Amino acid sequence: MAMPGQLMFARRLGPTARLTIWLLVGLSCVVVDVRYHALDGLRSGFSMLLQPVREVMRVPTEVAAELTGFFTRHRLLQKERDALLAERTQLLVGVNNAKELARENAELRALLKLQSRPGQQVVHAALLYQGHDWFAQRLTLDQGGGAGLRTGLPVVDAGGLVGQLTRVYPGSSEVTLVSSAEQLTPVFVERTGQRGLAAGIGHGLMELRYMPAQTDLRPGDRLLTSGIDRLYPAGIPVATITRVSRSQSSPYLRVDCLPLAGLDRSRGVLVLIAEPQVTAR
Amino acid sequence: MNVSAQTPSSWRRILGTLILAVLLEQLPWSGWALVVRPDFMLVGVLFWTLHQPARIGFGTAFFLGLLADFQDGAVFGQHAIAYVIGVYLVLYLRLRLLQFDPHRQAAQMFPILLGVQTVVLLVGWLAVNPPAGLSILIPVLGSTVLWYLVALFVRLWHGKGARDRA
Repeated sequence: MAMPGQLMFARRLGPTARLTIWLLVGLSCVVVDVRYHALDGLRSGFSMLLQPVREVMRVPTEVAAELTGFFTRHRLLQKERDALLAERTQLLVGVNNAKELARENAELRALLKLQSRPGQQVVHAALLYQGHDWFAQRLTLDQGGGAGLRTGLPVVDAGGLVGQLTRVYPGSSEVTLVSSAEQLTPVFVERTGQRGLAAGIGHGLMELRYMPAQTDLRPGDRLLTSGIDRLYPAGIPVATITRVSRSQSSPYLRVDCLPLAGLDRSRGVLVLIAEPQVTAR
Repeated sequence: MNVSAQTPSSWRRILGTLILAVLLEQLPWSGWALVVRPDFMLVGVLFWTLHQPARIGFGTAFFLGLLADFQDGAVFGQHAIAYVIGVYLVLYLRLRLLQFDPHRQAAQMFPILLGVQTVVLLVGWLAVNPPAGLSILIPVLGSTVLWYLVALFVRLWHGKGARDRA
């Protein structure tokens, strides 16, 4: 029953044998990646290969956004402009204060002959790509090791904490979002100062864990980073509490939170490069 | 239907469609479009496994699977294993699949694509952590629709009607 173009006698491995071989290769990939983290070189290779492609593929959506933006109503723009002007005046006042303080600080430091601490450096990065969020929510940014980024740095936007850099390639980097499952953020409640641990639960939501039942928490309370992990600077807004409920089976409160950063909206983010705090030994 | 002539143009066609699939995957999808986004690379590789099994098979599927793993920042091997299993299923059912017209073929592909996605789910579950819900299975619908459209296009391209005249 040989069909034209088909071999009568097999001279190569059958599909089942080849499937087995490839499955073994695949399984060893998983093990090597999960256990030994030995495939980061391959990841860097892929990122270098795909980054220009991604930047090119971003163009069609940007053109579309430009076109829709073109038709934005005039009134809306005017309103936005007024709001921005008001904000600008407020900010200018703040900037003046900050300048004054920085000058004073520099003088005092000079007096104390302290080495001036390098100021908080900020890298502006744009969102390059968003992957599926089946197991952990990740974003890809268009800045990487070349801009001085390294893993562990906090990423913020205008609203608050977006997440943490978990993989850094030469020209791009991956952010694990605060709402990603099992991503922990040490926080404190702005109103009461109560410290706690906020964890992502996927689907763009978070929860505040291990809060004893008598803790004073209300919907609407803001959670800020506490800074005790020495990773995030203290005081970055993380989330607001949306619901507090008691469960019968657990001694802790169930506290649902909504992240403040525009996790699925913001196109541009800031990466904060704080100097690692050296502990004296 | 099965173009088995060894022409360089078919190589060009295979590479062209696979590259197109990779490019489509690189578009900055977000929101609902991301949730239902068909797995372009999987559909591409299974399509060519069906029509050109001598050229496209396990190796290509494995490589594209690694690429898909990179895309989602997943564990390396997660999609690769699933794609390889998909190729095996298509090879196993190949002669049967080739007999059907597009919409029946798409209906036959649905369980295969579902199986592939379930393997992605299981490997991720075992290797990393439990998935956040079953939204991982939604792209299967998108992929099935894409398969139907591709099969229909190929059939009309070859100048046959959309349905079998039985």
